[in-house]
Amino acid sequence: MNLELTEEQKLIQSTARDFAEKELAPVAAALDRGEESREKFLANIAKLADLGFMGLNIKSAYGGAEAGSVALSLAITEIARACASTAVTLAVNNLVAEIIQTTGTEEQKKKHLRDICSGAYPAASLALTEPGAGSDSAAVSTLAERDGDGWVLNGSKIFITSAPYAGVFAVFAVTDKAAPKGSGISCFLVEAGTPGLVIGREEHKMGQRASATNEVSFENCRVPGDALLGALNKGFSSAAEGLAGGRINIGSLGLGIGLAAIDYATAYAADRKQFGRSISEFQAVQWMIAESYTELEAGRMLLMNAAARREAGKPHTKEAAMCKMYATEAANRACYNAVQLLGGYGYTDQFPVERYARDARVTSIYEGTNEVQRFIVAREILKSL
Amino acid sequence: MKILVCIKQIPDMASKFKPNAAGSWFSEADLAFRMNEYDEYAVEEAVKLREKDPASELAVLSVGPARVVEALKKALAMGCDRAVHVPDEEAYRKDPWQIASIIAGYAKKGNFDIIFTGMQSQDRGSAQIGPLLAGMLGFSCVTTAIGFSLEGRTATAKRELEGGAKGVVKAALPAVITCQLGLNTPRYPTLPNIMKAKKKEIAVLNAAELSSEAALAGTEKFYAPVKKGTGLVLEGGDAAALAGKLIDVLKEKTTVLRG
Ligand SMILES: Cc1cc2nc3c(=O)[nH]c(=O)nc-3n(C[C@H](O)[C@H](O)[C@H](O)COP(=O)(O)OP(=O)(O)OC[C@H]3O[C@@H](n4cnc5c(N)ncnc54)[C@H](O)[C@@H]3O)c2cc1C
Repeated sequence: MNLELTEEQKLIQSTARDFAEKELAPVAAALDRGEESREKFLANIAKLADLGFMGLNIKSAYGGAEAGSVALSLAITEIARACASTAVTLAVNNLVAEIIQTTGTEEQKKKHLRDICSGAYPAASLALTEPGAGSDSAAVSTLAERDGDGWVLNGSKIFITSAPYAGVFAVFAVTDKAAPKGSGISCFLVEAGTPGLVIGREEHKMGQRASATNEVSFENCRVPGDALLGALNKGFSSAAEGLAGGRINIGSLGLGIGLAAIDYATAYAADRKQFGRSISEFQAVQWMIAESYTELEAGRMLLMNAAARREAGKPHTKEAAMCKMYATEAANRACYNAVQLLGGYGYTDQFPVERYARDARVTSIYEGTNEVQRFIVAREILKSL
Repeated sequence: MKILVCIKQIPDMASKFKPNAAGSWFSEADLAFRMNEYDEYAVEEAVKLREKDPASELAVLSVGPARVVEALKKALAMGCDRAVHVPDEEAYRKDPWQIASIIAGYAKKGNFDIIFTGMQSQDRGSAQIGPLLAGMLGFSCVTTAIGFSLEGRTATAKRELEGGAKGVVKAALPAVITCQLGLNTPRYPTLPNIMKAKKKEIAVLNAAELSSEAALAGTEKFYAPVKKGTGLVLEGGDAAALAGKLIDVLKEKTTVLRG
């Protein structure tokens, strides 16, 4: 058993940490409050692309770093420690890139992977969720109909991360209305600027506010035949592998926020004096610290296990769902404790823990709610009986 | 042009330091290590020089335990061509004279035109390796460089002097240049370069074969200072003078006011 990171993984982790401390941490609070511009946010995303963070697990032939799933998890955690909005952008870009890498044609890879990796696309979006299809994602109703050698898309998506600045969208749409639920769905690569691709209103969110989350609709949006990504009518099953990776990404993101919160709160507790001594001398405070670090460490081990299995090409559907569920809940509890440890100060925006708490909240919702993760875990366990 | 850059790995200086069992140095247990900050300026300057001349070659060297390979790999990822590791699990026991002798033992066979080092290490802070190395090799030496350029075989360096004054010196190659904060902004290694650096050579050399010099000075005792606040209070004079002083401090001691 070897739990040591390789030197390359350590270097990627420390590069992400240095970048996050120097470039992201100083602006994260202002970005959250809207006091820093979106241009600033995207400028940092562009710098991360220059450093190779957008195609972490993409082959070097397509402009990626080919650094593996473990390194991707480590990088997202470090970025999320400073700015969760930046981390989710990075996570989704890498997710879309990996889906294109595993299911795309050579032309699609050459065209889109290079642009995602280099930052020529400021971001990439995954457009799956619809008003009528959230947890029940197989219920999507956006329709793609044959039109000569191309397709015409109609329908609307909701909660699409990075939509206003994405260069390409991986869009899930029904291609066979007669097929049983879940099996007549295909994935299309729709480029920004395609007529009929309409970026709708941006949500005002509780957290991760610097990252845009928008409605996206397709109004007779015509795409060429080679926009089809992966096999026709198999969009769901072929993206499943990528989506498992997406869960590891979000677990890693949660871990980063949780660590940031409890690190801050622990240092604060060591400093804060009440009743004539440091509050860290009180057992109730110590238990909060001990429990949060223990849970986050458990989350980290689950993440590393899932990521290592993914990197080794082993099955990891169950492990990815487990780590997403556990790490994001551990992160939310750590944020709860962090606000508690700062008392009234924790509830104000003079201190970063209220932002961490807001940023962490969505990690148990998106990329499949944690209830959905639980039924994936149970399904994987029960099917082996 | 043959360039050498010498680096050291040091603990994260924000760590809590405890003496080791012998009480002669700090305990390395529980510490995270990284490249000495001044050495990052040295690597960056060396890589910039290397990039200007495709025919040049840039080697990076470190004397230290197995963990320093990570710092060497970072330097390779930043753009060094090859690395030299002189393994020494207890390098902290060696004094600057011995470390400089080991490096000189390697460098005298290497025909280097220019050697960059950090101005000092953040942990020991002796600032002796560069000047000693220059002496042993018979190279010219410029310390605490905050600006550097090369024209033919003449290096021009801006130096930081006491009290904030600056000076410009010229030195003939071969030369040793020790690098100070403000010289440059070290690049982040890109992820593809981190992965590609795996294929670059890391030669492993035996310290005893490079030098058998005995120590000239021994470190007797290590103790960690009691923790105190890190603030600095500027007093006296009118507001304008104080503001001027503040700007000087920020320029000298931090990167906030550097372009
Ligand atoms: C900030 C943000 C960014 C997002 N980014 C993207 C994106 O880039 N691309 C994209 O496609 N989507 C994105 N989403 C959508 C996200 O994945 C969905 O919100 C999520 O899958 C849940 O769907 P829903 O909101 O419709 O909730 P619902 O499915 O309506 O769920 C409501 C509640 O019911 C529970 N529930 C539902 N079904 C069951 C069940 N069978 N058993 C037990 N409990 C159940 C859920 O767990 C949840 O607690 C994003 C969402 C947010 C908030």
